[in-house]
Amino acid sequence: MHEIVRKEFSKYYSGLGAEDFQVPDMPHREFAFLQFGGEVMIRHMKFLDPASLKEYIVENTPAHIYHSSAYYETPEATDMNEKGWLGADLVFDVDSDHIRTECKERHDRWRCTECGMEGAGFPPESCPRCGMKKIDTRTWICEDCLEAAKKEVIKIIDEYLVPDFGVSYSDFEVYFSGHRGYHIHVRSQTFRMLSGDGRREIADYVRGIGLDIKLHGFREVKNELLVGPDMKDGGWRGRVARAIYEFVNRASLEDLKKAVSPAVAKSLFENKDKFLKNIESDPPYWGGLKGYTLESIEKIASASIKDLICNIDERVTIDSKRLIRCPNSLHGKSGLRTLRVDYSSIDDFDPLKEAVAFRHGSIRIYVKEAPRVRIGDEELGPLKDKTLEVPLALGLYLICRGAAEPR
Amino acid sequence: MSLMLTKEDLAKYPFLKQSAAYIESMQLNLGDLAAEEYSGILSKALMRIRDSIDRKIRPVDLSDPESEIISYPLSLALVYGSKSNWLLNRFASIEAKRVEEELRKEPGDRILEIAKFGFSWEIERVDLKLEYEELPFSIPLQSYLEAATNFNDAHWKLINRYVKGGSVFLNSGSLARLISEGFKSKIIRRASEREMHNFRIPDTLAPHMDEILRYAQENMQFDEELPQGLVSDARPPCIVAIMEDVKAGKSLSHMARFALTTFMVNVGESVDEVLKLFGNVADFDEGKARYQIEHIAGMIGSRTKYKPPKCDVLRSFGLCVGMDQFCKKAKHPLNYYRTKLKILGGSGGQTGARDRKKGV
Ligand code: SF4
Ligand SMILES: [Zn+2]
Ligand SMILES: [Zn+2]
Repeated sequence: MHEIVRKEFSKYYSGLGAEDFQVPDMPHREFAFLQFGGEVMIRHMKFLDPASLKEYIVENTPAHIYHSSAYYETPEATDMNEKGWLGADLVFDVDSDHIRTECKERHDRWRCTECGMEGAGFPPESCPRCGMKKIDTRTWICEDCLEAAKKEVIKIIDEYLVPDFGVSYSDFEVYFSGHRGYHIHVRSQTFRMLSGDGRREIADYVRGIGLDIKLHGFREVKNELLVGPDMKDGGWRGRVARAIYEFVNRASLEDLKKAVSPAVAKSLFENKDKFLKNIESDPPYWGGLKGYTLESIEKIASASIKDLICNIDERVTIDSKRLIRCPNSLHGKSGLRTLRVDYSSIDDFDPLKEAVAFRHGSIRIYVKEAPRVRIGDEELGPLKDKTLEVPLALGLYLICRGAAEPR
Repeated sequence: MSLMLTKEDLAKYPFLKQSAAYIESMQLNLGDLAAEEYSGILSKALMRIRDSIDRKIRPVDLSDPESEIISYPLSLALVYGSKSNWLLNRFASIEAKRVEEELRKEPGDRILEIAKFGFSWEIERVDLKLEYEELPFSIPLQSYLEAATNFNDAHWKLINRYVKGGSVFLNSGSLARLISEGFKSKIIRRASEREMHNFRIPDTLAPHMDEILRYAQENMQFDEELPQGLVSDARPPCIVAIMEDVKAGKSLSHMARFALTTFMVNVGESVDEVLKLFGNVADFDEGKARYQIEHIAGMIGSRTKYKPPKCDVLRSFGLCVGMDQFCKKAKHPLNYYRTKLKILGGSGGQTGARDRKKGV
């Protein structure tokens, strides 16, 4: 990595106050660092207070700085079994790379390393030409992907954490990760001691994995006589009911045909009002249409919940010993800050502006290739093979992304 | 305390705080229990263990609750002293099953009290009425997950439960099951505590210990061993899919790699065979891979042989691809493999038809 990046990182860290390095319950956390150009993580570090962490960081200027989601008795022990696990925050990681947004057509490319086939957009599972799965990707982020990630964060919190899991608004923190997405750290005691298995259940819950609507009250009492939950019910029980209601309410005939057989779709579409009235009634009634069975409901349900399930990197949630980025540290692949987001005003949060760490100065760079990029208020590209002078933050961003070199 | 616990209750539910207190009040010494005057208790304890080996659920003998109460810690001591994980698991599950059967006969309020005195679960009476269903109890989310993650059935998955405001709502049957599972975990967890590592059975009880171990040994052999070497046709869909990814040169996620390796090692493939599998993968580093596989096979490091993750886990990681007739019943890929092997063997008479040569 280029010396200039290291120098600017170092300047940034020196300029921070000790309190900016604060992490809750520091003495029980493990800290880890990745140096510029380094491949091996420096791990098992312990810091008693923010000042000593700052001192270390200013002295060593790492490219990436992490702390453990876990609390340990002896965080500095090198053997994981000797650390003495005392619990861990529950973490959700939302990464825009995993969300299928339309903007990816504009800024992402993939290439099969086997046969050389190339394409734009979200990478395919396997190469459409040779069928191999050796796909290389070159991905970027833009406002749209980050906005999609933000929507996921809001969904996780407002749809699941608060109503279902009883988490209060003071029990979690939201961070912009400094690059592709957001992290939610839930610190309440409820989750602290959960095992990996317990965390997996939480992850599956918000991802809609393993949902069986027959276990939520949907039942065929007699042929075509269908009973089911009330939209006011809690948990997934009410959620499925509301989702189906909303879906059918908005669905075109075409939408319904994608979910169920044409005949059922037609009868559902023509009797929409009555169908919805029945669901609203007390007790709700879920049947009454010819050919409309429990199986039809199951199909409609899985089509309806698509927007309700959360796109998270489940590995992070399941892991009770994960390393996560320190607040206010810089992301070595973007030069942006890992920044705490005030949840009450998350709608207005613009990560590409507020997470900018280098607000002054400019830099001359040679850009190999880049799509349109915005950092702060500066926009650039798409461009290729060009040398130009740009604001420092934008220049460092492109250099960190590996798309440009200082000149 | 709104409930009077009788001696019979203490005998039925050995995990109650009051049961432990009662035993303590007797000031018995483990070594003394081999004496003639306690022979009734000793034989009860031995029977408890033998029952668990035989998977026999015997109702509590309420004609003599006192010796029933004391026989529990004695049998537990013998099981811990045996240092046999196999015996520990058997004992814990049969004891738990017995408790569950007793609990199912109790009215709701009693189940609630028993849960409170047995564990520090903050269970509440809520009487939630849904359409065609009533959920009288609520339990905090974390307590639910503590016990319920040991179950594999779909209806225990959190997503299929009524979850609201940090609580899980249950009917009394489910609560009884949770309590018995909590009891089971308690027995098993205790065994891995530090003080238990140095625990030795007093000499006076040693002959009985030997007898138990012999009996356990005989029965353990019935727990089937898998044939050596992979039988391709019996592979579960998830493993087939991972192998196809490998063939296509995809770099595997950590979980996929772990699942495949553990699976192969557990069906009796050698480290070399497993290594060959990975030869085609883009980011392959033989030295590192060999180390990992040997570690998984229990040849180095902690020396425990790792098992593949259960279906539930594979499902969360997006690695479960199949829902064929065997998958519907399987909770574990090895389970799937075992069942299918039997069926393959039964119809075609080709059990053990190994195809190492065909590779993947
Ligand atoms: S159900 Fe189990 S065995 Fe079948 S594919 Fe899924 S994970 Fe594999
Ligand atoms: Zn190709
Ligand atoms: Zn985008």
